[in-house]
Formats: sequence, structure tokens, C-alpha cells
Amino acid sequence: MSDTAKSRTFTLIQREFQEYKNSFVWTPVAMAVLLSLVMLVSVMLAGRITIVGDAMMQVVMNEDSASGMNITIQIEDDDVAITTDQEVAVAGWVIETEENTSEEDWNFSKEWRFNPSTNPKGPESIDSGMDNLNLIPTVIHFIFLLALFFVTSNYLLGTLYDDRKDRSILFWRSMPVAAWEEVLAKLGVALFVAPWIFIALSMIVQLSMVLLMMLGMWRLGKDPFELVLGNIEFGILFFNQVSGWILTAFWIAPVYAWLMLASAFAKRSPFMLAVAPLIAIVLLEELFLGTAFVRTAIANHMPHISDSGNAVGFYIHAPNWGSANYLSLLLGIVFTAVAIWLTIWLRKYRWDI
Amino acid sequence: MEQIIEAKGLTRTFGDINAVEDIDFTVNTGSVIGLIGPNGAGKTTLLRALLGLTNCDGHISVMGSDPRKQRAQIMEQVCFIADTAVLPRWMRVAQVLDYATGVHPRFDRAQAEDFLRTTEVTLDRRIRDLSKGMNVQLHLALVMAIDAKLLILDEPTLGLDILFRKRFFEQLLNDYFDGERTIIISTHQVEEVQNILTDVMFMNHGRLVLQKHMSMIDEEFVEVHAVGEAAARAQEIPHIGKRSILGGKAFIYEGIDRDVLAPLGELRTPSVSDLFVAKVGEA
Repeated sequence: MSDTAKSRTFTLIQREFQEYKNSFVWTPVAMAVLLSLVMLVSVMLAGRITIVGDAMMQVVMNEDSASGMNITIQIEDDDVAITTDQEVAVAGWVIETEENTSEEDWNFSKEWRFNPSTNPKGPESIDSGMDNLNLIPTVIHFIFLLALFFVTSNYLLGTLYDDRKDRSILFWRSMPVAAWEEVLAKLGVALFVAPWIFIALSMIVQLSMVLLMMLGMWRLGKDPFELVLGNIEFGILFFNQVSGWILTAFWIAPVYAWLMLASAFAKRSPFMLAVAPLIAIVLLEELFLGTAFVRTAIANHMPHISDSGNAVGFYIHAPNWGSANYLSLLLGIVFTAVAIWLTIWLRKYRWDI
Repeated sequence: MEQIIEAKGLTRTFGDINAVEDIDFTVNTGSVIGLIGPNGAGKTTLLRALLGLTNCDGHISVMGSDPRKQRAQIMEQVCFIADTAVLPRWMRVAQVLDYATGVHPRFDRAQAEDFLRTTEVTLDRRIRDLSKGMNVQLHLALVMAIDAKLLILDEPTLGLDILFRKRFFEQLLNDYFDGERTIIISTHQVEEVQNILTDVMFMNHGRLVLQKHMSMIDEEFVEVHAVGEAAARAQEIPHIGKRSILGGKAFIYEGIDRDVLAPLGELRTPSVSDLFVAKVGEA
């Protein structure tokens, strides 16, 4: 790419960020600050506010499960003792506490006995990132990506509509920028540029969280390096989150392209135009043909929050390259190309409201 | 003189309505053309067709390229101002300049800033906070800093007061027009631009009613101010328009020997606006 082309691309992307600074910059920054504050407060009040505390405890439990270790934590006021027994393998979790009900909840004068069972999912389940301390960074990442989807959808619905509504499109058209450059720059922002801001901030928050957890463990008198760093698989997390977005971008591309098409075509409400025809098509198909191809296709390309049992599409927390439905992925890419082509045509010739 | 625009059989329809219907015209380099027509005449559609902003039928060439296919390329040498309110309201002035600098290879940022220093428009201001007049000044600063060959202005001073309008056209003529550039102006304020025009084009109902060089208007059209009995005699001579004046009537004639009209009253070249009313009224 020549310097001129780079400068041009940079300018087009910069213009999107200037217009949608609140969505793409301040929203993730605010989320990062808020989440960091919540975690900080949690750690400062560790044990009383149990968001982090419980999770860390659960992690210790899970880690023990995965490694076949038994951990017993006895906390007598300020005294903390952790004993382990690798040779004991007991089926099922048992948490025994002293029946000292007169104590307040935050009093740690309890004995916690973790007798982990053999992990039913097998050792590979650790890699899912859900059975050890990876859970917390994954949840943080999930929150960021969920916000990203909402913010980006809102951006795409408005980006080719708002300037037609306020007629500023006439200014953009007065510049030597082709409609395809404009549309692809916007799609690029949605699919690649904005996500990396959210992902980068998510990772910063995750690192902050790790440091705060270490601080929390240290405050509880435990070894933060062993219990926190030893239970986080940074490599797997990083790989999942980075490569996960690459796969997610392919999955979500048809949805984003559809939103852009609605934005470029709408005369009143891009949202209604994006949603109403899909509902109508799904209903008509099921009513007259008795099939659900469209509904399945839509479901495949919408981010799934949790595993519903049907291995379709992708999940926000961990897109899976191995079990992806590549035919659906390919059809989605074809749909994306067609929708983007139509969007560019509309942008060129039918932009008047 | 080199042709910068050529259109043949240019047609644009919206449903059953012909916004522009079978128009043929050419524009030479160095012209300042006034595109005049009533609301709904098709002026904006015609200008948009020249700019590649709307699809159309027929042959159209701007600087040798088809704007329908090579709009972005053409816009490197063509500027246009649609109206006073099209600059993005969320932007700051500096951001507009940044954008133009980034995407326009012929934009001279320093020149734009120099021009803005003569106005009250500062770089840190948001466009939504600028008055209409300041908006126009900013837009003019952008346009004047682009080394373009063709400038298209579609009602650029709509809604502005007389002072801003006068300043706009003065700056356009003094600081921008150099005899090699071509300007097309669509405006309702015909009187304010007629002195800077080299050509006029009248449109009505999507058709081109008249396209003349200003010097040809002098030769082909004449207006007689007749009073009393002379007015009655002037009325009998085939004319294209008439209007009342103090104590008599003014008649506009096309392609008539001035000697025939001389005895009837004072002869003069009709103003562009009077000629427009006569031609469009005739159509």
C-alpha cells in the first residue's frame, strides 16, 4: 500500500472514530474503568464482597479438581492454613463448614474441605478456559464483546443513514472518495478496528484483574504466584481471544453487512428495516414451506451467549475452529459480498431520503 | 476553447416523472454559467448527474470521464457546494481540514487556513456552532484551497443575508476564478450573479429552455420600454414577454431588428431574470 493510500485509509477510519468516539473509545474506556473499580473494591473488601473472593475460591477448587489435588483451607480468624494431599481422590465436591451460625458471614472461621472428583470432562476441559482461573478473564472478555456487538450494531445502523438524513452526505460526496472505499472503511472499522480497541482494553482489564487477585491473595496471606498465576493459562486466553475474534469476524460479517444495507436503504428507521423483513421471511417460510432455513442461517450468524446444546454458529466466549460449520460460514461470506455490493450501489445512486 | 462538459440525451426519471428530459449541452473551459430555473425544474438533478450523484440515461462526459463510473476520480478536479447546511455538524473545523487533507490530493491546507484567518471561523469550533454565513465561509475556504478545474454551486447562498451573499460571490470571483476554471452556479438570486456570468442556461420542467453566451443575449434579445400609444404598437409586434413599468410596458423580443423597435421607446438588453421570466412563461 502506498503512503497516499495509507494516509487515505487512515483518514477514512479516523473520520469514523471522530464521529463515533463515544461508542468506540469512551464506552470501552468507561467499561474498563468501571470494571477495574468494581474489582478493586472487591479486593479491598475481599471476603465481604465475594465477587472476586468466591471466584478465586472456586478456582482453587477447580484447579484442585483438575490436578487431582485435595485442598483444605482452614481459616481461624487471621490464621490461614492450606494443606494439600495429592494422593486422595474423592468423588464429588464436599464443602464442610463449621456450624458456627452465630458468626457473621464474613468471618472466615471455617474449615473448607475440597474433595475434588475426577473431572468428568477430562483434562482437555481445562483448555476451554472455564474450569480454572481463566473463567474470570473470560467473563470480562465476554462483557466487552457483548458491549462491542451492541455498539457496533448501533454504529452500522446509523452510519449510512444519519448523513443522508442531515444531508451531510453531500459534503462527503464532494470529496474524491469512492462509495466502495467509504463502505469498506466502515465495515473494516466494525469488523477489525473497533474490536481490537475493545479486545485490547479487555486484556488490560484482565491483567488488572490478575494483579488485583494477586493482591487479594496476598492480603489473605496466600501465595499469589502459585494460586493466581499458576491457575491462569495466559497463552490459551490470549490465543482464544485473538483468534476467537478472527473467527467471530467471519461469522458476524453477514449480520454487519445486513445492518449496513438496512442503513443505506432506510428512509425512516434502519432498525425496523433490518429486523422486520427478517421476521416476515422467517414466518412466511415456516408457514408456507414448513422449513426453517432462514431462521437457522440467522441463528448461525448471531453470537450465542451460552451453549444451548446445538453446535451451531459461534459463542462469544470461545469460538471453536474445530467444530465450526464451514458451509454456513462460506454462505455467510457470500451473503456478505452481495449485501456489501448492494450497499455500495445504494450509496452511489440512491442516497436521497 | 476546450470542452469540459458534454451531455447528449441526458435523461433522469423518477417513476413517471422526467426530472431531466433529453438534454443536450456543452460547457467550455473558463465559463461561468448561471443555471436558472423555477423550483422543480430539474436543476439539482442535472447538477447531480454531472457529479455522478445520481444515475441517468444518455451520454455524459466531465473532463473526458463518465461521472457515473468515475465519480471519485472526477472529484479530484471538481468541487461542489450543495447548500449551506451540508457540512457535518458533529465535526470541528480542524477535523474537516484534516479530512480534506487526507483524501484530497489537490487540497492545500495552508491556503484554507489563510482564508479562514480572515473570518471569524476558528479551527477549534464545531460546525454546529457556526452560523450559516460562517458555514459558507468554511465551505468556500475548502473549495478555494482545492486546485480544481470545475466548481459546481447548487444554491450555495440559500438562506444567507445579502451581505454574506455579496461577499461570497465577490470572493468567488476575485479569489477563485482565474479565467481557466469553470463555474456552474444554480441560484435563485439571478440579479446578484448575472454580472459575473459568461453563459446562462434556463431550465423548466426538466428541459433546457435556453443556453446562451451572455454576448449572444445582447445580440438576440432586446427589451423595449414603451409608454402610451407606443406600448399598444409594441404589443402588436410578436414578443416573448412583457411586464408593466411606470407609465407603460416593457416588451422582450427575440431575433428582431433593433431598428424596428427603436421608434417605440428606449431599447435595452433584458436582464437575465426578466429574460428568464419571459422564456419560462412562454414555455
